[in-house]
Amino acid sequence: MTDIALALVDLRHVERLAALPALTVAGCGAALGWRHAPFDGALADRTIARLHVGPECCERLLPSRALLEAALAFAASRGLGVSLASPLMADAALGTLRALLHLLPAGTEAVANDWGTLHLLAAEFPALVPVAGRMLCKMVKDPRLPSAEWARLYPHGIHAAPFGAVLARLGVQRIEMDAAPFATAADFAGGRLPVGVHAPFGIATKGRTCRIGALHQNDAAKFAPSFGCSRECLTYTAALARPQATTDLETRMRGTAMLYHHSPAMAAAVLDAARAGTIDRIILSGDWH
Amino acid sequence: MRIVAPVSSAAEVVPLAEAGADEIYCGLVPRSWVERFGSAGANRRIFGNLSGEDELAEVVRRARDHGCRVSLVMNAPHYSGPQAGALLDLAECFQALGGEALIVGDIGILALLAGHGLTLRLHVSSLLSCRNKEAAALYRELGAHRVVLPRDLTVAEITALVAATPGIEFEAFILNDGCVFEEGQCHTIHLPGRLGGPICLDNHQIEHARADGAALSEAEAAMLAANDAKYREWLWYRFSCGFSVTEEGYPFGPCGLCALPQLAAGGVAAVKIAGREGPLARKLRSVEMVQRTRLSLGEGEAAAQGLARDLRHRPDLCDTGYMCYYR
Repeated sequence: MTDIALALVDLRHVERLAALPALTVAGCGAALGWRHAPFDGALADRTIARLHVGPECCERLLPSRALLEAALAFAASRGLGVSLASPLMADAALGTLRALLHLLPAGTEAVANDWGTLHLLAAEFPALVPVAGRMLCKMVKDPRLPSAEWARLYPHGIHAAPFGAVLARLGVQRIEMDAAPFATAADFAGGRLPVGVHAPFGIATKGRTCRIGALHQNDAAKFAPSFGCSRECLTYTAALARPQATTDLETRMRGTAMLYHHSPAMAAAVLDAARAGTIDRIILSGDWH
Repeated sequence: MRIVAPVSSAAEVVPLAEAGADEIYCGLVPRSWVERFGSAGANRRIFGNLSGEDELAEVVRRARDHGCRVSLVMNAPHYSGPQAGALLDLAECFQALGGEALIVGDIGILALLAGHGLTLRLHVSSLLSCRNKEAAALYRELGAHRVVLPRDLTVAEITALVAATPGIEFEAFILNDGCVFEEGQCHTIHLPGRLGGPICLDNHQIEHARADGAALSEAEAAMLAANDAKYREWLWYRFSCGFSVTEEGYPFGPCGLCALPQLAAGGVAAVKIAGREGPLARKLRSVEMVQRTRLSLGEGEAAAQGLARDLRHRPDLCDTGYMCYYR
């Protein structure tokens, strides 16, 4: 049976979940204001088994200690597993993350999207469960691809032996993947480790400079890597569209990340893989879309 | 501090070496790769590669005659299992030709090459996004000799990283090719122009909304529109000011020349000029710019920065900060 996890970047949203008597997919979707039911409602009655908290794409969105502690307490009260996600980071943010990792109970998953974080986990946090995030498990995920042939230019190596050897060296115990454009169930098969798949949004790319994060900066400071944003991404989101493109996947910008929405065929591939036991977890985007 | 320059043909090696390049890097898509895998995706670029092993041998020979090291890129963002074996073959071929280093973008391939008993140096590509000392330590443990740092680190972050990680060299971008997104976490393709080109330059229209579903106020809409206008302006700078050059042929666009004194003082071993697929004239002028700035380092930081700013005779463009790799 595939587990269902709910991913939250902004941990203030935990309050909305706390008001729910039961954490079903449909209930969480209503509480979080989802525009569309993932998988056309096929998972509506499923119960959330895990909270997947924290940012995958921006170090400035790492949760405060208080918000993380509240999320951990909520998860414990509902019997939920917890995975703390973190993005690619410079050293200052890695110091912030280190302090958060100390708050996690033994056995908690730490989802890293930075090789340095996995190195840190292996060296300093042996009681946590290291997970390789979807930004490390690379594949071609361009929402503009006209056909599956384009992805063949660079086939993914997520299940390749050399990549697996590095994961093993770092003690990684599971991996996370996206469903790429034109995904098939076979894309998720063939590896040694359990696989979680994010839905219904994939991440095509992310930056360190941030378009929306520059909103309140003076002109000279805009789009600099040393930005001091006000987390405008928590307030604003944006739809991207190409005027003449008819086959693009629905594309959005949220903070530093460019996201795409799964097509019905991609969603079907994820469900097929779940039924086949190739993936053991579906991670639903709770608030980052 | 070494200057690292790109070549796409053997004919480019000597002019670049004579202009000041200490290291040359190049790419190759072996014929056997295309036949076996049905794609030209042996590295990050479909274009700008050498014609074959014979030309690679010639690049190595000419570079060696001029005291230049040669690196070969294996910097696709990821490789499949069968491709790993083909990369080992290519590495052995390059080593036999007398090449010095491989620039590797896939962590699994990096570890595989390190365990294969090669005498080649291993350079971690910017595709591996080394942003912190833990990552640098991991790459050192895996057998890397150098890390090519990604874009959009600050000078302070770079110098701290270098100081914290002895036993491995660092290379930083200095000119050209400013990715908008995080190169090592960009999962898109540079499509042909007719299909949109790089996603960061594509003709996307943007429609902002509030995440809470409320309508944007007029003030918010105006502020967002103004920010978007600035973003488009920044993109113009990030993409080489419309791919323009000075009268002398010096390219505008992404530039870290002013930071060269700090990078040198901070222990950065090499600086990288991007753009394998560019024309020779662009590469040559780029090397000249870096070399002129490097030669001025002995005159002090202010003098070197002044020279760097004056090279293009357009201080107004420098003043925006939008061309700067290191703000």
